[in-house]
Amino acid sequence: MSFVKVRGLGKQYAPDGPKAVDDLSFDIREGEIFSLLGPNGAGKTTTISIISTLLPPTAGEAFVGGHSVQREPMAVRRLIGVVPQELALYNDLSARENLRFWGEMRGLGGEQLKREIEEKLALTDLTERAKDRVSTFSGGMKRRLNLAIGLLGNPALVILDEPTVAIDPQSRRYILDWVKGMNAKGTTVLYTTHYMEEAQELSHRIGIMDHGKLIALGTLAELTQLVGEHETLILRLQEEGGEALAAALGDARGVTQASSTDGEVVLNVASAEEVLPIALRRATDLGLTIRTVEIREPNLETVFLHLTGRALRD
Amino acid sequence: MRKLRVLALKEVRLAFRDVGAILTMLATPLALTLAIAAAFGGGGSAPIADIPVLVLNQDAGEMSSTLVEALLSDQLADLLEPEVVTDEAAARARVEADQVAALVVIPPDFSARLLPMGGTELRVESEGAPFQLTAAQMQAWASNPQDGDTEESPAVVEIYASPQWRISAAVVKAVVAEVLERMHLVVRGVGSTVGRLILAGGMDITNQEQLLQVGQSIGEQLVLGAGNGEALLRLEVVSTRRAFSWLDYSAASMAILFLMFSATSGGRTLLIEREGGTLPRLLVSPTPAVTILVGKMAGVALTGILQVMILWGASSLIGAYWGEPLAVVVTIVALVLAATGVGALIAAWAKSPQQAGAIGTAVTLVAAALSGSFFPRMNLPVWVRQVSLLTPNAWGIELFADLQAGDALVNVLPMLGGLLLLTVAYYVVALIGFRRQFE
Repeated sequence: MSFVKVRGLGKQYAPDGPKAVDDLSFDIREGEIFSLLGPNGAGKTTTISIISTLLPPTAGEAFVGGHSVQREPMAVRRLIGVVPQELALYNDLSARENLRFWGEMRGLGGEQLKREIEEKLALTDLTERAKDRVSTFSGGMKRRLNLAIGLLGNPALVILDEPTVAIDPQSRRYILDWVKGMNAKGTTVLYTTHYMEEAQELSHRIGIMDHGKLIALGTLAELTQLVGEHETLILRLQEEGGEALAAALGDARGVTQASSTDGEVVLNVASAEEVLPIALRRATDLGLTIRTVEIREPNLETVFLHLTGRALRD
Repeated sequence: MRKLRVLALKEVRLAFRDVGAILTMLATPLALTLAIAAAFGGGGSAPIADIPVLVLNQDAGEMSSTLVEALLSDQLADLLEPEVVTDEAAARARVEADQVAALVVIPPDFSARLLPMGGTELRVESEGAPFQLTAAQMQAWASNPQDGDTEESPAVVEIYASPQWRISAAVVKAVVAEVLERMHLVVRGVGSTVGRLILAGGMDITNQEQLLQVGQSIGEQLVLGAGNGEALLRLEVVSTRRAFSWLDYSAASMAILFLMFSATSGGRTLLIEREGGTLPRLLVSPTPAVTILVGKMAGVALTGILQVMILWGASSLIGAYWGEPLAVVVTIVALVLAATGVGALIAAWAKSPQQAGAIGTAVTLVAAALSGSFFPRMNLPVWVRQVSLLTPNAWGIELFADLQAGDALVNVLPMLGGLLLLTVAYYVVALIGFRRQFE
């Protein structure tokens, strides 16, 4: 059963401006982790801003738990918890005071709120620092508290907007494990990210966005089938010249797509074994030295490259 | 209501945890109050002195000159700072501009009305027709001067007073009245003495010149107290209204100034929360936007009330007087609501926290300068005082000036009503701006 329904959603910030979200339609099933994957500027944050009732759409509609985000915003807000990308915390309040305040804003109170606060402090390993001001916390601790606030009241749908940006690997691991644990208890999750690995690890289904549009939707297996048996061949160069090499290999036999980014040449190939010698020869012809070679099985990076002609990190 | 309370208390907690804010809200205004009071003098009542007063003598007679001399005398030198003028229009303009406390206008018929026998001829007007007294009539008048006094209306001296110099003008009026009373008694005394001299045969009633010389001589001695060492006036000023005090004035004006800083800064925090992410998080919580906004401003107002209450208490400990406690509390609440309205208005129309901060600082400082935060408001030009009534500062300074002078709450209710109207106007404009921002 669909818990979230999005139909023809659109958002234009200025009447003659570009569409940040363009004719978006998808469902999120109850109890699943659904990821929106795409590069910066793809429209992921705008999409979840509309679903969380922060922004009104300029086209289409969205429903959460059967309630329209436009006509029944309060009903929608009671069902959702939002973990924003920015750290939305009061630095001069303690961790406990932050949780108490945001819990009150969710309508919690009394013993229920006290229990919630202690539970979330324990889950985030912040119990010992509960009385300390947030301004004294590390970045990872702030991220955990930011997450805990979004989970107050155990909402039916948790929306996380790129929660692992600019944090250390340990904190990232913590958040990913927590999302999986929360989902195991039945919480529906809408997760946005530009990290392919996170989407692959967490998601039951993934929607790939680019320039405001949903360009692919499905499970990981369904999405990788879009690119067939193609592999990704990644060449890392000793020096500048990646673009020239990518251009030289663009029409090589067995190469379906070639692009260059950050000193890497990324090739979508039918067989890495057949294309590699050709790539080495062309690099030598251009006076370039290949430092490392990596061969990847089809993944979301490949899918994105196949669909857009660009790497996910572009 | 619960969420409103939670939002408001959050603001208060955040405000009082900020060390820099505490310095701005409390320590700095107290320090400035002490500095200003120390520089200009005075806790408690200051003596009334050097009251600027203009004197316009339209009369050519001796009695008016005597009145002028009395006002210019050494006995009144500490109390009055008189200036003799000739241009009536200019003098009245100076009073209206509150440059002087009052204008004393001695009318053209002052001497004639005060001393009907003035001039080279004894003349008394009765029923509009002049006649000369017969010897018998003079005899009768000498026995009882009041019978010969057929003047129907007294000498009228006009005191044209400035409303901003209420106490000083009252003192001038009292002084002039006292001098006139003395002069009237002297005139009666002279008349009686001269009459008795005539009756006793010591003076020739037909010798007008002699009569005048003797009369003047007696009068001068009586009026000026020459030869007997008596001072013309022993003036004891008793005022039921508290005199101006720099400590009182600066305690209130500094509190108002720094309240404005706090209120405009508090409004700015709404924009900071918008950029920082806490406002969007609030807006996606099951809390109506109007509750969020009202709760935020209620918190700013509550912080302002606490701030001014603390300043009231602290300055009172060092001798500052703010007025009747109930009236002070009501005034503080009204003033804080108005200041918060200014903060909300700026936040509603500014594009960023930085812009709101710059505008808030500019508005606060300009309002303070126009309203008389740093020097007595009464010294400012009239047009400046009128323009400044667009700001809470001016209303607050006026209100506290009245309360400190001794007015009760009921006396300042009209002014509180005016402040309330201004507050409503602030919030209406702010609401229009917020709707633009958040819709």
